Amino acid sequence: MLKIMSVSKKFKSGDSFVNAVDNISLEVADGTFAAIVGKSGSGKTTLLSLLGALDRPTSGQILVDDRDICRLGDRKLIDYRRNKIGFVFQGYNLVPNLTAIENVMLPMEFAGLKKTERKKRAARLLKEVGITEEKFNRKPTRLSGGEQQRVAIARALSNKPSLILADEPTGNLDSATGKVIVKLLENLAKTENTTIVAVTHDESISKDAKQTFRLRDGKLVSTSS
Amino acid sequence: MGTIKRGFLNAFRNSIRTISIVFILAVSISMALVMLMSLKTVQAKIDNVKSSIGNIVTVSPAGVRGFEGGGELLTDQKASDISAIPNVASVTKTLSDRLRKNGSTIPTGGPQSQNNTIANNTTNLDSSISPGSFGNRQRANENGGSTSLGTFSVPIMLTGVSDLSSVTGLSSLGISKFDILSGNKIDSNSSDNLAMIGTALAAKNNLSVGSTFLAYGQTITVTGIFDAGSEFANATIVMPIKTVQNLSGQAGAINTVIVEVNSIDNVSAVQTAIKDKLGSTVDVSSQQDASNQAIAPLQNIKNISFYSLVGALVAGSIIIFLTMVMIVRERRREIGVLKAIGASNFIIATQFTVESLVLTLISSVVGMILGLALSNPILSVLVNNAVSSNQTTAGGGTGRQLLRLGAGFGNSAGNALRNLHTNVGAEIILYGLGAAVLVAILGSAIPAFIISKIRPAEVLRSE
Repeated sequence: MLKIMSVSKKFKSGDSFVNAVDNISLEVADGTFAAIVGKSGSGKTTLLSLLGALDRPTSGQILVDDRDICRLGDRKLIDYRRNKIGFVFQGYNLVPNLTAIENVMLPMEFAGLKKTERKKRAARLLKEVGITEEKFNRKPTRLSGGEQQRVAIARALSNKPSLILADEPTGNLDSATGKVIVKLLENLAKTENTTIVAVTHDESISKDAKQTFRLRDGKLVSTSS
Repeated sequence: MGTIKRGFLNAFRNSIRTISIVFILAVSISMALVMLMSLKTVQAKIDNVKSSIGNIVTVSPAGVRGFEGGGELLTDQKASDISAIPNVASVTKTLSDRLRKNGSTIPTGGPQSQNNTIANNTTNLDSSISPGSFGNRQRANENGGSTSLGTFSVPIMLTGVSDLSSVTGLSSLGISKFDILSGNKIDSNSSDNLAMIGTALAAKNNLSVGSTFLAYGQTITVTGIFDAGSEFANATIVMPIKTVQNLSGQAGAINTVIVEVNSIDNVSAVQTAIKDKLGSTVDVSSQQDASNQAIAPLQNIKNISFYSLVGALVAGSIIIFLTMVMIVRERRREIGVLKAIGASNFIIATQFTVESLVLTLISSVVGMILGLALSNPILSVLVNNAVSSNQTTAGGGTGRQLLRLGAGFGNSAGNALRNLHTNVGAEIILYGLGAAVLVAILGSAIPAFIISKIRPAEVLRSE
């Protein structure tokens, strides 16, 4: 269960402060595919970085599996990002000089898994997201955008996280590939019982999502499910 | 793939950049190595020159030059005064004379008809050294240009010594070794008519241990035959000083005091103290001044090498630092992603440090090869510049005189400069690798700090 309670995040802008996220509270059940939508500057990416413990809120609580991640020390935050969270970025953000399988193995290496186990699991995940074996050893530049995003999703899943945070996962893809990726995320949420929170402009994603949260000027203006 | 392997492979991520960095860094490292090698080579030469010059001070009557007169002979009192000076390790008194062959003519500066024979300092020995064309010319000059020189033969040098425990007392003969070939050393405190003779003189006169010869009209017994390493020294006679004083009728007279100083560093101080104590009645000389002059160009090279070494190391550190800052800035997003997927600052900093180390070590190997190739040519340029600079400073010609002067005392400055060659040993290679590791770590320290400050949230914002 992901529970956000009265979370705010202020940024200093010149002499004044801007409320990027303003007193937001919401809940997402385990295994749910949820979407956060809103225009540019509405605060959705800031909210996503707070959920991923990439940043700390100015006030409020974020409970993941009943643990307040806002109170974690630096070392525990790293453990949280390693083991509880998987990130999918708009620009894929694969490490360019590593192959597809090495990119998927990377978070497992940080988590301390043995190499043989890392390789085995990475191969399984790549197959699950639809990457064929002959592409395992290709570097990102030799994969299409859709393939890169599939590798990124496999990487996000590598440490069996309970929460996957996707920032505009279809933003760099054509609509057909985008639909395939959304379907993939939706299936993962069901089959792996993983909570997926996707930030998007794409209304088609919000239609497929089980829950949709709409933000405007840092405030949660509507929730639909 | 582990962090170290990733760091290693990252060093080759951009081949053009890697080659450029390796080349620039290699030049810097090669310069550092060349300067280190020059520094060590020059320092070794300075030590060598200093040790070859030794710690000897010679005190002689003021104005004296060989046997041509000048000044009053020294006394036991003056020798005692010298021994009391701080840092004087030992004092050896010598009295020298020249023995002429019975019947040998001696020029007087007038016509040949005025040649006389010497009655007292005569011997029945033949010198093992022939006058040669040089000696005959000198005699002719002294004899008003006449080429008829009668029965002239080269005088035999006789030295009375107060201490024969080392070769120090015989340094006025230019002796650097004193090997006893047969018989024994004489007791230098004795006043008996005993002598040691050089091997060439012994051979010339068929003398062996126990043989006798005449000097000053008295019979002298040979107790030992020595080899002193040169034809000149092997043509001489060594006796106890008291015997020479008695035979020559110069009781208590000393013509040279050889002072051994406890350290090379104290030679100047002792020289000054002797001058202060005995004033203008003596000439005090050592090779310290010559050594200082000789070492001056070497010191210049040493200073240039040291500052260039520091400069090259600093330049190397700056190059690797700027390179790593550039790489870290370029991979800011990647660092953010690595953090977002669970990498700690330590893992990322280690990865970048390994990358920096790989670049630096490759540069070191290339730098060492370059350094080996360039060390002797660069040292040669430094030597030439240092000598030219010395010549200019000394007002023309002094540099050459300096080289000639240096050539006079064994491992001379001139030879020292001409023969300077760098040597590469394991020590230099270890220094080089150590410096490379140091440069890599120093160059990575601030980039590592920058890495720790990169916030993964920036990755999301920059999308």
